[in-house]
Amino acid sequence: MKRKLYYIFLFFLALRLPRTMTQAEIKLCSLLLQEHFGEIVEKIGVHLIRTGSQPLRVIVHDTGTSPDQVKKALCVLIQHNLVIYQVHKRGVVEYEAQCSHMLRMLRYPRYIYTTKTLYSDTGELIVEELLLNGKMTMSAVVKKVADRLTETMEDGKTMDYAEVSNTFVRLADTHFVQRCPVVPATEDSDSGPPPPAPTLVINEKDMYVVPKLNLIGKGKRRRSSDEDAAGEPKAKRPKQSTDNKEPIPDDGIYWQANLDRFHQHFRDQAIVSAVANRMDQTSSEIVRTMLRMSEITTPSSAPFTQPLSSNEIFRSLPVGYNISKQVLDQYLTLLADDPLEFVGKSGDSGGGMYVINLHKALASLATATLESVVQERFGSRCARIFRLVLQKKHLEQKQVEDFAMIPAKEAKDMLYKMLSENFISLQEIPKTPDHAPSRTFYLYTVNVLSAARMLLHRCYKSIANLIERRQFETKENKRLLEKSQRVEAIIASMQATGAEAAQLQEIEEMITAPERQQLETLKRNVNKLDASEIQVDETIFLLESYIESTMKRP
Amino acid sequence: MAGNKGRGRAAYTFNIEAVGFSRGEKLPDVVLKPPPVFPDTDYKPVPLKTGEGEDYMLALKQELRETMKRMPYFIEPPEEKQDIERYSKRCMKVYKEEWIPDWRRFPREMMPRKKCKKAGPKSKKEKATGQGTALTSTADVLKKIEELEKRGDGEKSDEENEEREGSKEKGKDGDDEDDEEAAEQEEYDEEEQEEENDYINSYFDNGDDFGVDSDDNMDEATY
Repeated sequence: MKRKLYYIFLFFLALRLPRTMTQAEIKLCSLLLQEHFGEIVEKIGVHLIRTGSQPLRVIVHDTGTSPDQVKKALCVLIQHNLVIYQVHKRGVVEYEAQCSHMLRMLRYPRYIYTTKTLYSDTGELIVEELLLNGKMTMSAVVKKVADRLTETMEDGKTMDYAEVSNTFVRLADTHFVQRCPVVPATEDSDSGPPPPAPTLVINEKDMYVVPKLNLIGKGKRRRSSDEDAAGEPKAKRPKQSTDNKEPIPDDGIYWQANLDRFHQHFRDQAIVSAVANRMDQTSSEIVRTMLRMSEITTPSSAPFTQPLSSNEIFRSLPVGYNISKQVLDQYLTLLADDPLEFVGKSGDSGGGMYVINLHKALASLATATLESVVQERFGSRCARIFRLVLQKKHLEQKQVEDFAMIPAKEAKDMLYKMLSENFISLQEIPKTPDHAPSRTFYLYTVNVLSAARMLLHRCYKSIANLIERRQFETKENKRLLEKSQRVEAIIASMQATGAEAAQLQEIEEMITAPERQQLETLKRNVNKLDASEIQVDETIFLLESYIESTMKRP
Repeated sequence: MAGNKGRGRAAYTFNIEAVGFSRGEKLPDVVLKPPPVFPDTDYKPVPLKTGEGEDYMLALKQELRETMKRMPYFIEPPEEKQDIERYSKRCMKVYKEEWIPDWRRFPREMMPRKKCKKAGPKSKKEKATGQGTALTSTADVLKKIEELEKRGDGEKSDEENEEREGSKEKGKDGDDEDDEEAAEQEEYDEEEQEEENDYINSYFDNGDDFGVDSDDNMDEATY
């Protein structure tokens, strides 16, 4: 009886955990945390992932880390939205890791690059600052970005706050940045004790509303004049400048990068390029227009976009895109007839109503990814079998051999290989209740969802491997790297003091030819590993989006 | 293995030919070791995508990695004492800017205990960076005082947790409270006088504390 109760207890304990993370995911989180925030934060973060939510005291006790260190680490994690807290009864605050947010750190370069393509350098720096700092007030972002831009500009030129503000407003209007949940203002602070932790509230209405600020000023160079930068304590400097207004106008209003909006953009881009590959440039432009029209109106997790009439689409086509209404209608009919069903027709009013089937599109993209992985791992003949099973849903072994037109022995070999690697699954249908193998149908099938999950898991593992390899390579050459850094620093300082070319060359020669070669090799390897990480993450994005959209469907 | 010798065939309940083994063929051996760490692959991987975007993202990634290390959020483990102090270590040390969390957004227990010790110089910096102004508004100060008043009984009621550290804390609490209140007082003063001579004020504050606790505490509150 006691034992039974214990199991029931365990069951409920398991229910409390949001979703158990696989070992590969935990490993990857650990590596990412370590690279971004150091070992202590990594230790606390991983502990929280493994155990679920815990109060401070328990974390301190279980990790054997000093309370101060744990607090610092938790603050860092909370600041970066990687840990959330909640007040439980009796005023205990529990901390919970946000594992999926941790994995997003892999994608930071892509978020930043995307903003650069959409909103040029200013946008790039805004998003970069937000990602680096977790959350910031708008005024802080604007100042920092203006300073950074000013430093890259030629002498005498400066970046105006107003210009950075404008870009920020545009980012907020298109939902790429959003407000963080706020601490509700407490007027009656003298009634009762303040809570042990603030309750953060999301204010849906103001999510993307930029506070009215009149930020006047220009970016400052860090080293505008060397003497005062060196002589004076830094803290005093802003006092002398113009902006010593006491209350910060947007105090307490924090902003963060809206990663879901970025994901929506990535998804749309993937769909557009898939259409371009399948049909042509014009049709992809039509799909792009449709997606752009429903960007803000359709929630990022919806399976379909809002229905759009062909007239509306025609009016929204980019200027200078010269196709007649008639051609557009033909294209739309063509797109709707396509077996991939990216575009669907939802009605006949308004010259025909069209939607984009986002879920279907993601499923097609995920399936295509699976197909290409099979092709690259097992060869084109395996890919043929894979596609065949995919198309026919369920096939017996004999049918596979016949339909694929591959000699029976080889076909079996390939089928089993894919079965053992979990790309293909096997369904048993017994004719008699005894499950005797001779009286059972064995049907091969592709379960796209589980295959996608398996592949996603492998991707996490690959990235963890890539990071470990990169760290290993760097560690192996630590001494050499340090030496080259030192030499570079010396050269830089000598150049600043105006040394002769001969002297510089002498110092440059401190690194021998073989050493130089070794450095080159290292650099090439690290670049390759880094590039692979970014590109594997693209696959991760696709698979995650597909799985997410499948799970959300009723 | 019985399976590959004619008579052993009976060991299987199904026709072995159905899974692709002809009569008398040897079945593969049972694998008892883990797969190799670096297995041979039948197919070579396709080259990575290259292009302007990819190159830029690569550069961004590497730059980001370096920048993160210089951010105040990167907490380095406490260094073990080295026998010889290396010159290179000293000159390569990066100076991070300080990070003052906006304490309104964090659970109260996150606040470092001895924060009050440097309330003076710190609040000045808060204004400088223009980020956190946790303690500057009067409402917050009031809240803080309240919290301090409460702390004594709050902790007593929380027996389960406090049992271990209870005695230690109670001893410390008294001092803490006094200190914090003193610091608060100074903060008020500072806000009023700041315009004219904040320098003297903060200097005074530091001098007061100097004898009581070591310099180490200075690092505690800022991350």
